This record gives sequence, C-alpha cells and structure tokens, in this order.
Amino acid sequence: MTETDNIGTTVDLTPMRSKKLSRSVFRRFLRHRLAVVGGAMVVILLSSALCAPLLAPHDPLLIETSQRFLAPGDNAAFPLGTDELGRDTLSRLLYGGQISLVVGITAMLMTVITGSLVGIVSGYFGGWIDNVLMRFVDTMLCFPQVFLLLVIAAFVTPSLLSISLIIGLTSWMEVARIIRSEILTLKEQDFIKAAVCYGSSHTRIMVRELLPNAMAPILVAATLKVATAVLMESYISYLGYGIQPPLASWGNMLTNAQGYFDTVPFLAILPGVMITLTVMSFNFLGDGLRDALDPRLKMGQ
Amino acid sequence: MLQFILKRLLYAIPLLIGVSIIGFALMHLAPGGPLGVYTLNPTVSVQDIERIKVIYGLDQPTYIQYMRWAGNMLVGDWGNTFFGGRPVLIVILERVPATLLLAGLSLSIAILLGTGIGMLGAVQRYSIFDYLATTGAMFALSFPTFWFGLMAIFVFAVEMRWFPSGGMFELGEEGNVLDLLHHLVLPTVVLSLVIVATWSRYSRSGFLEVIGQDYIRTAHAKGLSNRLVITRHAFPNAAIPLIALLGVQMPFLFSGALVTETIFGWPGMGRLFVDALTMKEYPVLMGLMMFTAVFVIVGNLLADIGVAMVDPRIRLEG
Amino acid sequence: MGRSNKSGKTFTRRDFVKATGAAAGALTAATILPSRGNAAKADRIIIGHSQEPVQYNPLLYVNRGTENGPESAMFDALWDMNEKGQFVPNLATEVPSIENGRVSEDGKTWKIELKRDVKWHDDQPFTAKDVAFTYETIMDPKTAVRSRSGFDLIDGLKVVDDHNVEIVLKEPYTPFLWSWQEMHIVPMHILKDEPDINTSAFNSQPTGTGPFKFKSRTAGSHIVFERFEDYHRGAAKVKSLIQKTVPDTMVLYGQVKTGEVDYMMTSLPYDRWDEAAALPDRAFVELPLPWVQFIYFNCGKPQFADPKVRKALYMACEMQKSLDDIYLGRWKRTLSYLHTSHWAYNHDLKDETPNIELAAKMLDEAGWKVGADGIREKDGHKMKFTMSTTAGNTARQGCQALFQQNWKAIGVEMEINNMPGSVVWGEYTTKSQFDTLLVAWAPIVGMDPDYTARCHSQYIPAKHGQGSNYVQYENAEVDALLDKGAITVDRAERTKIYGEVQKILLDEVPFAPQGGVFGGFVMDKGLTGVKPNQYVTDSTWNIQDWSWS
Repeated sequence: MTETDNIGTTVDLTPMRSKKLSRSVFRRFLRHRLAVVGGAMVVILLSSALCAPLLAPHDPLLIETSQRFLAPGDNAAFPLGTDELGRDTLSRLLYGGQISLVVGITAMLMTVITGSLVGIVSGYFGGWIDNVLMRFVDTMLCFPQVFLLLVIAAFVTPSLLSISLIIGLTSWMEVARIIRSEILTLKEQDFIKAAVCYGSSHTRIMVRELLPNAMAPILVAATLKVATAVLMESYISYLGYGIQPPLASWGNMLTNAQGYFDTVPFLAILPGVMITLTVMSFNFLGDGLRDALDPRLKMGQ
Repeated sequence: MLQFILKRLLYAIPLLIGVSIIGFALMHLAPGGPLGVYTLNPTVSVQDIERIKVIYGLDQPTYIQYMRWAGNMLVGDWGNTFFGGRPVLIVILERVPATLLLAGLSLSIAILLGTGIGMLGAVQRYSIFDYLATTGAMFALSFPTFWFGLMAIFVFAVEMRWFPSGGMFELGEEGNVLDLLHHLVLPTVVLSLVIVATWSRYSRSGFLEVIGQDYIRTAHAKGLSNRLVITRHAFPNAAIPLIALLGVQMPFLFSGALVTETIFGWPGMGRLFVDALTMKEYPVLMGLMMFTAVFVIVGNLLADIGVAMVDPRIRLEG
Repeated sequence: MGRSNKSGKTFTRRDFVKATGAAAGALTAATILPSRGNAAKADRIIIGHSQEPVQYNPLLYVNRGTENGPESAMFDALWDMNEKGQFVPNLATEVPSIENGRVSEDGKTWKIELKRDVKWHDDQPFTAKDVAFTYETIMDPKTAVRSRSGFDLIDGLKVVDDHNVEIVLKEPYTPFLWSWQEMHIVPMHILKDEPDINTSAFNSQPTGTGPFKFKSRTAGSHIVFERFEDYHRGAAKVKSLIQKTVPDTMVLYGQVKTGEVDYMMTSLPYDRWDEAAALPDRAFVELPLPWVQFIYFNCGKPQFADPKVRKALYMACEMQKSLDDIYLGRWKRTLSYLHTSHWAYNHDLKDETPNIELAAKMLDEAGWKVGADGIREKDGHKMKFTMSTTAGNTARQGCQALFQQNWKAIGVEMEINNMPGSVVWGEYTTKSQFDTLLVAWAPIVGMDPDYTARCHSQYIPAKHGQGSNYVQYENAEVDALLDKGAITVDRAERTKIYGEVQKILLDEVPFAPQGGVFGGFVMDKGLTGVKPNQYVTDSTWNIQDWSWS
C-alpha cells in the first residue's frame, strides 16, 4: 500500500482574486508553446470550415464523373483530388469540417460537462446521491451505445445539433466514473477537509477546489471524445440516422472510402489526417490548459 | 466489505428489472421491426407479413409482449430467435469464448502497454518518446478501426501472406492452439490500437498529476531511486482513474468489438449484436442486454472495491 | 502466389511465416502444423458468403441469397430451373405440362409423378406423403413460412399413391411451376411430431434429400456438409462442402485471392471486376441477376398522382450515365421490370432519357410552374419530395446524388432520406408512406413475367390489405392484361400480353426502371461444373456437379 501519510498537496486556502488568477493562468498558457500552436490550429480549422463557401474551389456536391478518382496534384483545379463521383475532395473536406467540428466539439463539451458534473457531485456528496447517480450510470452503461444512439436518433429529426447532443448524452458515463474515482481520493485530502472546516460552501468546494484538481482526466477525456464523436457521427450516418448524403462530413468521407482503401488510399487518408490534426490540436491545447490551471505543476520540465 | 457487496448485489435486482423494461420499451418504440426484411423478398406479400406478425406475437401490445418475455425469463427460458428459431441462450453462449479470448487479450495488452507508455511519457515528458506516443495515440484514435483492419489484412494477409485474413481456425485445425494464436495476431493488434491509445492518455495524465505532487518530490529528496518512487509511490495513486476506466470497460469482455470482429470474421459477440440489431432480433437483443447488465454491475462494483483498496481513506458506502 | 504453393506438400514460406507468427518456436510449430496436401483440396470445396445463413429449413428462411447455399446443398425441389431457362425434373419424373398430359386442358388439374429411388439422408424413403406434408405445413397458420404465393391457389392436394400426387387449383395459374421450384420438400417422418416447426431443432440440423448431408456448424464461422452417397442424381463429386461466412466483402475477395475460399458467392464490388478478371488462376464470371433497380413513385402522393409528372421526372434522369458512372457500365439499361435478356422483354421500348427540355415542358403542361424559390408548384403543393433506400449503400447514394442534381435542373427538389433496412422496408414501404424509393426488385414469381402483385389495382396493400403494389398504381387496362397473362399458357401469346404491360408501365411510370443488376463472381480456375444461371438466385443450384479439374 502507498505511504498515504505524506499528502502534502499544496494547500491554497487564501482565495486568490480571480483577476490575478486568470492573468497568471493566461501567462502560463502563453509560455506553453505547443499549447499556443494547438490553439492556433483549432482557430485555423474552425475558421476554414466557417469560411468554406469562400475557400472551397468547387461546389462540394457537384458531380463531375469524368474527373473521378483524381489523386492530389493530378489536376490543379482539384488540388486534393476527387472522389468516386468526381466531387472535389478539398471542397468536401472544408464543408465536411463544418459538420465534423460542430459534432466533435459540441458532443465533447456535452460529454465532459455531464460526465464531470455527475462525477464531482456523486464523488463529493457520496451517500444516497452517489448511489442514485451511479446506479443511473450503471443503467445507461447496460445499453450498448450503438443501440442507444439508434433508438434516440430514430425519434429526433436528425440535425447537426441533435446528433451532437445524442452522441454527448450517450458517452458521458465513462467520464463520470473516472472523475468520481478521482474525487473520492481528492476529498479525503487535507486541503478539502480544511476547506470544509473553513465553512466553504459545497458549490465553492466543488468548483474551486475539486474541479481544478480533477482537471487532468477531464482534459484527457475531452481530447479522446472529440475523436470518438467525429467517428461516431459517421457511424450513425452510415446507419441512416445522421447526416444524409450527399452532404460531406469527415467521418462519412472515411466510410465512403472504405471500398477504395487500397486502390485510392487518399480518399481515406485525407479525412483521417484532418481528424488527427483536430484531435492533436485539442490535445496540445488541453495540455497547455492543464499546465496553466494546475498550480502544482512547474513549467518547462 | 461483505455487507457492501451484498448491498450492491441487492441493488442489482431492481436495476436488472429496470434495464429490461427500458430496453424492451425502447426496442419496440424504435421504428422498423424484424419483419421489414421480408418485404425485400418479392414473393412475400402484405398478407404474409401480417400472418407472420401474429405467429411471432408481434401483433400484441408491447406490455403483453414484455410480460410474456419476463414470465419466460423467470423460468429460465430466454426465448428463441425469430430467424432460425434457436434458443437465445445457446445462440449467445456459443459466442462467449471467441469474444472473451479476443477482447480479453486485447484489453490485457492494452492495459499493460497503455499504462506503460503513459507512465514513460509522463516521466520523460516532452521527450521524443512522449511526442511519438502522443502522435501515435492521436492517429490511432482518429482513423476508424475498419481502416486499420482492412490495411492490416491487405498488407499482412493478402500481400505478404504472413497471417490468415480472418476466422479463428484454419478449416480442419479446430482446437489447434498454435493455429489459434496465428489467427489472433492481426485482430488483437488492430483492436488493441484504440484501447492502448485511450489507456496511454489516461495513464500519462495520471502519472503527471502524481509526479508533480509534493510527496513524490519528498520521496525523491529522500534519495529513493526513480524506479522505486514510480512503482511504490506514484503508481497506486495514478492507478485510481485507470481502475475506474477498467471497471467501465469490463462489459467489453462480453460484448466484444463490433468492427474488428466484422472485418476479421471473428465469430464473436460483437457480430452477433450487429446482426441482431440490423435484423431486429428482439429476443437476442434482450438476452445480450441482460448479460451486459450483469457485467456492468460487476465491473463497476469491482472498480469501487479496487479504488478503495488502493486508497484506504476511501470508505465504501452505498 | 500460385496454387502449387498453397497446396504443395513441401514446407512453404507461408507455413514458415505462419509458424513464426504464432509466437512459438518456429521449428516446433512447423512440425506441428500440418501442411495441407492435394488430397484435402480435391476433396472439398469452400464457398464464401458475406452473410451467415441462420435458417436451414427451406420453408422458413426469409430472403433469397444467403440461405440458398444450405438449401441447394441439402434439399431438393420437385423440379429445378436450369441455366437455359427451362424447368428440369428433380424429385418429379417429369415437369407437368399440357403437352405431356400431366396438366389438364383447363389448367386446373396437375398430376405429379415422383421418382422411386429417392432417399432421405437418414435412409428413409421419400414418398408422396412428404410432398403433401410440405404443402400442409406451408398452409398451416402456425408455420412462419415466408410466402404462400401460388400455394394459396391450391384447392386440394391428393396423395394418389406413394409416388403420385394430384393437385387441383382454384383457378388456372401458369406460373404455378415456379411456386414448387422455389419450395424445397421437407421430411414428414421427422417433422410431423414437431410441436412447433418454427423452433424445431430441424431448422439448424436438417435432414433432406439433397446431394450433401449436414455435418456441423460453427456459429459465426462456417457450416460443413458431407457428401450423401445415395443421392438420387448420383453422388456429388467432392466429399465435403464448406460454406464459410466472411462478413466483409473486401476481405472475402482477399480470401479468394489467397485460396482460403474457392468460390465467392457474394458479388464483387464493380471497381474490382477488371482486376479480378485478370487474376492468373482465378476465373471470373459476370452474369445478370434477377433484380432490376427502380425509382418507385408513390402514386398516392399529390406530386405523383399525374402520370405525366412521373414521366417528366423519369425523363430528366440521366439513367444511362448513372449506370456507366456509378455501376461502371456493368449493369445493363432496361426499360421494364425485366432484364433485356428475358424472353418476355418488349424490345420495341425506346429509351427517351435524358431529355431535360422535354421534362421541363411536360411539367409546365401538367401545371407545375416554377415558383419564386425556383421550385415548381401547383395548387399549393411544392414539387419537393424525399427519396429513401437502405442507408450505407454507396452506389445507390451516388445514383441519388445524380438524380438530385438532374431534378434540381428542372426545378424539382429531392431530399435524400435513407434509413436502416429494417425501417425503410417495413411499414414505410408496405403501407406506402414513402415519397420515392430507390429499390432493386426481382420479378415476383421466380423469373415468370407475371407482375400482378406489383401493379394490379387489387393488390395495393394500403387499400386492399394484400399484394405488394406499394406504388399504389391503378390502371384498368393493366389489370385486364395481368389477369389474362396469368392464365395464358402459350409463350408467344404471353410475350405479347406482357409486352403491352411493359409499354403502358413505361408510359405512365409508376416505377422508373434504371437498370438490370449484374453480379461478378470470382472462383478458383480449377473448379468445374459451375454453371452461372441468371434464372435463379442461388449460384450453387447445381452444387452436386461441382468438382476439381
């Protein structure tokens, strides 16, 4: 067993003035070069998706079968090549980004917020609240996610927002369980006990003390969930409950490329790389955020 | 402890009943049904479909159908499949070994490898290794499993012919352990990829968290070796979120992997579930759900006990 | 890698790599893993399908295709359909016809004589009672048989003696031969005491009269059949037959390349046909499959009530282009519900697609004027509708995208609304809730040109609770022609009748024909006896004749 005697975590009981806190956080974040790069990438990805109508060289839905299966660079008019119907890949990636990024980010936020909320409340209060919440988590986990997704999706008219919410609502349980376990150990530590003694309110303890200290797994979950949500969207769409063809999303571009994985590999690789880039950026952004928020970690080790 | 376990198992009873009711209701509320597939056969007419509906009792109100199912369950009858008319319990149980093997192996590898990679990444933060591991994990998470599976088959099975492209055994080699191992390599690698990626991320962040804490620094200052500090002091605390993750992933041992099993023709539970879901095999879906529920309950119960054992300050309550 | 390599007795590179890959000592492994010799190869045929057959009872399976493998291996029908489109006797001694006197002049009484030397796999003799039992089981309300089509016309079935059956029909029905061709005979001595045939153990461990006996089944993997030595048409050429399930088509194709599968029952994706045809020791067969793909217009919806509108929408579609570009020219254009190679196909039909100008003009004439938003409208209805098909079918999605583009050009807005198969083909189709569908369907009774259930006004399920006229098409002239065709025996006369039906259908377009479906199948070149047959859905219809050269 661990030597649990030395739990000398930095006890920061003097409530910092929020202005000062946020300034130092921001400074620490800026010092984190990768995080800045990650943040910039997220901005670039988002704005290029947003400006797709301006940036896209072609109509993403326009079928030009005489030009199909062009590889990137084959034809200057189609810089990233074309798909099986001769649609421009670059334009589809740009427009697809609108769908995939919205789904990825919204679903991730939904997952992380619900998961953390349930995890923190459950872990902190314990007792019957914990019991009720965790049995609810158990119940949700009993239904395969695909099953839940399909059942809910069948009742809600598919829209970008509804798909994102559905994905979020069916994938927070794992996060809740992890955060709860984290909170269970945290709340036994002296600084929380001290905060309770000082008479801090429950909300204050949960938000100001527990949440920042449980940030690490939350941010990891956030990164992971962006990727799974983007791929999950394509699965729902593949089954007919999501984005309808001929609209593009990175996920459904990947799915459609399945039959050409060896003959026209770019069709799958390009959207895959876009998803990788997105997740990567979020990961570095998350890393930076965590370092910036976590008072215990020193920079530049 | 014993009292805690008993209490939790007691809670399991209403939970299971609740799950069965919700599951049954959702399944029937969702549009489409098992008879849709008949329409595609051109000789089948609407009067045939109506007739079959009565035979399967699908013309009854949902609550009657549920009562019938629940009544049969109470006497141990899991029902029969619509297509094939086989006993559901057998249909499910015959898939257990294949899934348990593939999922168990992949999960174990992922736990060992993922935790290890994460730990190393945390210790040597911002090293070349850390960046490579991070990039690798992001890559593994961003491409769909079917892509990795097809690529692996294309390269290692069809082109190089190092490994078979699917199934559990060569025909006529059933039971040959070496042959089984040979067939396990590709699906295990592909299936492990995503789980390793997930585990390595949680593990890296867990260890980073702990390493930064004062008691670890103190341990270092006391002159303890790096390895000792990590294994004795950091590991147990970093493991707490991982134990919770393991608890959540336990049902995977039963339910298996949908895509990997399909691509590699692995005769496991994941494929049974996909087939049942597309065909709307209600009895099979219900059976799978009940089994999954048991795994979920046990998995999370074990995780709660595990967390309490690692950190004795945590009291088991509930 | 050639065949010599995979079947050689020598220690091959593959065996070596296999051994090392097994993470065991390479040498130990190599001695343990037996290399498969020529003998094994010659004695078994492995067929691969992407779906797993789950129901081996020939009366109970749902859809044609997957389950035809076990069916043709283990069971026999009274007569079969050969590759030339002729009925040939199987369990019966002769195919009944008016000429041979086995069908009465009025077409109502059918006399069937059965072969005498036929045995079930358990050595019991096959008799007329089995045929009667099969019929009674089909008509038993407790049996979940997929269809009673044709059998519901039987007034009485009499067992004359052990080898003669007499059937009296309520009314003459020319396609009746097809009903028996599609239903294989089940054993009375095993099933008569079965309390519930739907859950009988027989369904997964059957006994038939066919060329192969059931040996074993490994769930999710494969079924093993063994030669039935006493088969009445002569024992099969190979000792065992294996039907393997490989869910992913591309992986299945990979397995045919590596020799893990000898015959691929699932059709190959179109973009791989050239490559497959060029494979050195694999044979590639291209053949028409019974399906024709249509755009189904729901005539019950206000947009599609007017035949002129349907015709205009049809005319706007680049049908030939869709076949050339999406099905890579593998499918053949057809203008009716039959393939152009079918004997009843009306060759006078002319392809008028695409003609955007005429389509636009016809819509104008029909009163559908372009509105302010660029979409046509009439009497408050917008020319706006959805098109549905099974989600995830990329080729069909391509067609939908093309038609969407075609229609946009004439002020028609179509929205794609694909759903899972269990939803779109459920009540959405059978209760005619759809706007339009993109669907491939085979003729309703085998390959007979009879199309009553699909377009006779009395067969609209939403109105009359019977049939499969999901487009809700009503035309008295078509009704009369269909009624006549079903009782006409003379083929030339029938060609004329159904030719007229096809002409009217192309004028009024309740369903717009796109193309006849073709399939491409890969097999080992050494496999002989395989006879591609466009008149049946099972490529293993003559499995007893397959062997290795």
